[in-house]
Amino acid sequence: MPDVATRLNAVKSLRKELGSRLFFGTDLLREFGKNGAGEAFPPAGGVAGESGIAGLVAGLRPGRLTEVVVAGPSQGGGLVLAALLARARLEGSYAMLFDVGSGFAVESFPDRDLETLLWVGCDSVLQAVTAFDIAARDENFRWFVLDGREGKSEDWRAVRPSLWQRISLLLRERGAAGLILARTPVTGVSKDRHEVTARFGLEALHAERSRLFSAVRVGQGSGNHGEGGRRRLAG
Amino acid sequence: MRQETGRKAVRPETGYAVVWCRDFRLQAVRRHVQRLGPVALVDDARRQSIVLCANEAASRHGVAAGMPTVQAIARCPDLQVDRPSEAAELAARCLLLETALAWVPGVEETAPGILTLDLSTQPGDRWFDGAWTLRQALEDRGIEIVAGLGATPALARLAAQAALHEDEAIWLLPEDGRLERLDRLPLVLGETGPELREKLTLWGIQSLGAFARLRREAIAARLGDEAVELWLRLHGRLRRPLQFVKPGERFEAHHEFEVGVAEREPLVFLLRRFLGELSGRIADVGRVVASMHLLLSFSDGASYGRRLVPPEPTLDEEVLLRLATGHLENVEMRSTVASLRLWLEDSDPVASQRVFFGTGLRNRHRCEETLARLRRLVGADRVGSPRRINSHRPEIFARAPLPVELGENRGDPPGPPVSGPTLRRYAVARRATVRMREGRPFRIEAPGVSGVVNAVHGPWKSEGDWWHRGRGWERVEWDVDLLHQGLFRLVGTTRGWTLEGYYD
Repeated sequence: MPDVATRLNAVKSLRKELGSRLFFGTDLLREFGKNGAGEAFPPAGGVAGESGIAGLVAGLRPGRLTEVVVAGPSQGGGLVLAALLARARLEGSYAMLFDVGSGFAVESFPDRDLETLLWVGCDSVLQAVTAFDIAARDENFRWFVLDGREGKSEDWRAVRPSLWQRISLLLRERGAAGLILARTPVTGVSKDRHEVTARFGLEALHAERSRLFSAVRVGQGSGNHGEGGRRRLAG
Repeated sequence: MRQETGRKAVRPETGYAVVWCRDFRLQAVRRHVQRLGPVALVDDARRQSIVLCANEAASRHGVAAGMPTVQAIARCPDLQVDRPSEAAELAARCLLLETALAWVPGVEETAPGILTLDLSTQPGDRWFDGAWTLRQALEDRGIEIVAGLGATPALARLAAQAALHEDEAIWLLPEDGRLERLDRLPLVLGETGPELREKLTLWGIQSLGAFARLRREAIAARLGDEAVELWLRLHGRLRRPLQFVKPGERFEAHHEFEVGVAEREPLVFLLRRFLGELSGRIADVGRVVASMHLLLSFSDGASYGRRLVPPEPTLDEEVLLRLATGHLENVEMRSTVASLRLWLEDSDPVASQRVFFGTGLRNRHRCEETLARLRRLVGADRVGSPRRINSHRPEIFARAPLPVELGENRGDPPGPPVSGPTLRRYAVARRATVRMREGRPFRIEAPGVSGVVNAVHGPWKSEGDWWHRGRGWERVEWDVDLLHQGLFRLVGTTRGWTLEGYYD
């Protein structure tokens, strides 16, 4: 049995070697999963066996900016946010929500999903993107959601493309995932874009939320690559 | 007869070290200033400015303590002069003490810049290395010292003076061969009166070694008590108890500007230096920084003080500096800054074992910095982890701090499943015109949303806070399905109808 000093030195050297990558034991599990499965995260656009919003959220990739376009009210945009918060809670990671218009209704989400959420109320799209730019540098947060459903098209257009580029770069560096909820496509920087559509009746208000997840249709968004896509950005 | 083997009476070794900082007041002032060439510390408070002490380069030009400054400059035209600073001397004394206390627990501050250390807690074979390490640690922080090692405090002091005289870093006066080493030392190092020195010189005694070889009785008969006291000191027979200092309890630094400072950059520069020094001192005593007290005094007599608390005790200078400078950016400076004071509160290091398969914040300091920046951008009341509060009043929720650690149990707790889509409120509730049919909404017209009601649930009536004067509320909610529009929440109050938000 080695003495205490030897064991402490061994732990120190191990921590020195792994400390920057592995902070918690769950990181270790994630690393093992990556090595074993070859792909720690399912491909963008969903996973086999899961459909609707559950598949969309399960397929969100770390290090990338993803847009979810929700054309209007009651189309399932809030359910995307709910599913993402549930995933963050299950993973034990923190999420940050930039809420344009401060319309977040706390009573719509279970308490346990709110524990890992940091809410940032914003007046405008530009303020929210600026806050996103600040927060994306923080390695504590793994999920960032910019809820710009109430943002105006001209506000989205006022955001400098370089700001999006920087956010995208920061997300890639940190291995965090960014999600933008908007009425129209907003930036060409996002690598993945999905359109969410649903038609709920009043009976949906009493339906189990997990069933609603699968009732929402998720499609590949248009115009996220190439010049044609850029022309259609932000309305 | 039983024979005891393997047991040997161990007599603890007694030894002392004297740490001597030459020209302490001068070193205290200029330890952060890289100045080559002759430098002198002058006292301007008197009617005639005089030199208090001078460095070696100045001494070579004939500059000496007590000399008028004008005369010193006449002898050495390149002489640079500094003024004494009580703050700098206090900081240097604290630094000396705490560095010494990091080596041994028994330290006496014999005089400013002179420490006597009791080495009995250290093995004798490590005294020299320990003294060398101490010297290096102080040199790294801008203070040059010499050290003398001896069997008594008096011998250690003599050894330190010998080190100064011989221009050596560490001087030893061991038991064996002590007289031979004393032969190298002049009488002046014995710190006796000039009369005794003169008499001994006339007798042909030139060194302390020669004096120590005389018989004690003869010295007592011919030279008196002063000579006997010196003889006892040289033979290690004169011991005195040391008055140990307590470990420092206040980690403080301050600086008074000769000319008021209007910019923040010099303050940040000083803060960086202070934090480097103070956190180093705190690290030496095995503790960490729990909070910082920042005090600015302005030229107009006003002052500004604030206690800044990092998210968890730390020794990371960059974290502390970011905390202080981030705060300094928001300080309104109506007049120039006359002085800056920084005081660090120390505490025990955080000793906690994280749950292995739990998660939590990876970097609390970074998180706090991010939150501070976000609060500055959007407002302090709009950042936080949302929590329900014990009320049915809509639109209000509490902002709690993020939990630092998340437990291992993150699965779905037992209970009814969550139902329905989520509600999203409009930033400002949209005033609506509602046509009713048979007591139910039939058609709604509001900015951006108008249409025929396809289906409706309700009414849901609620009220509250009526027991607080002026804060009572009462409302009627309807969940409406507007044809080709979606699901909305319609609210009726005494002030009319509004569309509060939509289900999504």
